[in-house]
Amino acid sequence: MKKIIDYLKNEFNSYSRNIRIALVVLCALVGLFIIFGIQILFWGLGYTDMSNLYPFGQWIIGDLGLVALGGGAFTTGFFLYIFRVEKLEPIINSTVLIGFMCYLFTLVFLVFDIGQPIRAWFGYTYPNWGPHLMPQSMLTEVVWCLTLYFCILFIELIPLPLKHKVLDKIPALHYIGHYMHKLMWIMAAAGTFLSFFHQGSLGGGMWGVLYAKPVWFDPMYFFWVIPAAMGGGTSFMLLCAYIAGKVMKKEVVPIETFHTLARISGVMLIIFLVTNAIHVYTQATIYVPAADRRYVDIFGGYYGLWMVVIEFLFTIAAIVFLNLKKFREQERFFLAGISLGALGVAMSKCTVVLHGSSVPNFPWRPFIGYNPTIQEWSVFLGGLATMVLIYMWAAKYLPLFPHLHKHENEEH
Amino acid sequence: MEHNESANITRKAPAMRRRWGMAIDLDKCTGCGNCAIACAQENNMPIFKDDSDLPKRVTFLDLMKVTNDRDAQYPNVHVAYIPKMCQQCEGNDPSDPKPPCVSVCPVVATDVGDDGVVSQVWSRCIGCRYCQSSCPYEARAFNWWKPRNEGRFQESLNPDVSIASRGTVVKCTFCSHIWKRERDKAVANGELDINAVLYTPACVASCPTGAMVFGDLNDPNSEVSRLSRDRRAFRLVHTIDEKPADEQKRLRGIKNYPNPKVYYLTSQQWIRDMQRFR
Repeated sequence: MKKIIDYLKNEFNSYSRNIRIALVVLCALVGLFIIFGIQILFWGLGYTDMSNLYPFGQWIIGDLGLVALGGGAFTTGFFLYIFRVEKLEPIINSTVLIGFMCYLFTLVFLVFDIGQPIRAWFGYTYPNWGPHLMPQSMLTEVVWCLTLYFCILFIELIPLPLKHKVLDKIPALHYIGHYMHKLMWIMAAAGTFLSFFHQGSLGGGMWGVLYAKPVWFDPMYFFWVIPAAMGGGTSFMLLCAYIAGKVMKKEVVPIETFHTLARISGVMLIIFLVTNAIHVYTQATIYVPAADRRYVDIFGGYYGLWMVVIEFLFTIAAIVFLNLKKFREQERFFLAGISLGALGVAMSKCTVVLHGSSVPNFPWRPFIGYNPTIQEWSVFLGGLATMVLIYMWAAKYLPLFPHLHKHENEEH
Repeated sequence: MEHNESANITRKAPAMRRRWGMAIDLDKCTGCGNCAIACAQENNMPIFKDDSDLPKRVTFLDLMKVTNDRDAQYPNVHVAYIPKMCQQCEGNDPSDPKPPCVSVCPVVATDVGDDGVVSQVWSRCIGCRYCQSSCPYEARAFNWWKPRNEGRFQESLNPDVSIASRGTVVKCTFCSHIWKRERDKAVANGELDINAVLYTPACVASCPTGAMVFGDLNDPNSEVSRLSRDRRAFRLVHTIDEKPADEQKRLRGIKNYPNPKVYYLTSQQWIRDMQRFR
């Protein structure tokens, strides 16, 4: 026991002061996550600020955001393995790990969010399938697609630990890792197929089918959100790798990889901007008036219109910075572009849940305010902190960035 | 022998004709709250020492107090009470009912019967609250805490209604367990026609002024059917009803509408005006 404590102490002291502070904060958040997570699981959702008038809250925003931003994994894999954009090779391990964690913590947040996590398997045993193979409930589709894609990400992740210098020396594991990597295009294709569906269903279709709720209803909502996940997700993958490089003070990914993926992200964000504009237009001119309400009224309240405006401003700025070469090649504009791309998509998820849930159903009711409790913040931030810690661990001990390892080996 | 008899009964059983609906006369409603209490008693609503957290309270029938103008002074201020429960929506096509909450459930915990009543199986529900989000009438309640019936309330629990566990969504089912009880009685007396049995939900039975009427909307001679066609009748925030027939047809081509089976009646124009968002 003493040896373990000494090892941990030495390990902790081997880091710089800033990293040590970050580790303390992250571990504290994980501690709160465990404490309040137990409270929520055993004593119920009464400790949240959600209510019968505001049934979806912060964790659903987290789910939507993580799945959309994790969508960068399937997009990068699709361009690398199917379109053979080889320049993306140095970042693929990082994107697969982030994608895997995004989906893992989506499932973790869902466990906290549903009232009966012990019955979560009902989604597999009593699925709401409609006629033929079409799921009746968008959530049924989400449950199945999310699970299958999570399995695919897990398989995609296997070669990463197998490339560790210790495991790689074992011939059997070396060949398994090698051939799995060669056949990964099959997983990338299956992952893309599944991702298209659940990005559409969780991000948009789930809301677009709610015909009695004019703030959400839009039959084409399913399709609008797929480019959002592809654009915002790739920006997020770039942002994570960029921050990792800054923290490690090394070139973890070659600049061409950054720029190639940034261009893909920029183009996807243009499609997102156009489709999002069509979505707002159709809602404002067809579906909201069909419910005898006005768009400006329904997007009033505490959240509403200003969030939609910010969403558009962020997306437009990201498009400019990522698509124009003169901006993309300047580091600060590149950083602003990828940050705003990810934030624009995250903001669109806030608009859907935070604002959508606040809209009153009766004319004599006001908009509803939502103030997450310490339990909700702890589970949410603790989950994100766990993801950061796993990423930090993987960056240190696994060949997360092959480019970096190649350079280090060359130097030696 | 018994098996053959039961097979014959199944074959001979007539098709369901009933389409249950309700009419509530707001001009007669005094806001006494008897309906809400009867509902809570009949359906084993949890009762906590402190039930002041209204948005988290579990109740099937919410007595909404509305006023024409919060700042109005006497004698210009008007107040009305609107008893609001699940409105048993059916979507655009009553022959193929599609309530907004049914198709969204990922585990088929909620369904709509051939009598038009939207059911909910407490023990199947996983508590995702998607149905709550889809409901335009805020008619569904979630058990945020472990349901309790503190003190001597436990002794008055209704054995016909199961008690929901924490983390599940519950809702009004027009007291369909009472109908089942009445049907069982009728079957014991030799009556096998499912359409022969009528019943009264607890809220309607408890109303002291007769403001609530329950019955079969498919029967043109029933009182509820007659009241639903009354010129004083309207449906809660369902303003499409006020539009001309061709405009209604155009709008129904764009989207589904809830089309609830609960009708409200009033002769006070301000209550009808309040149903509009603009």
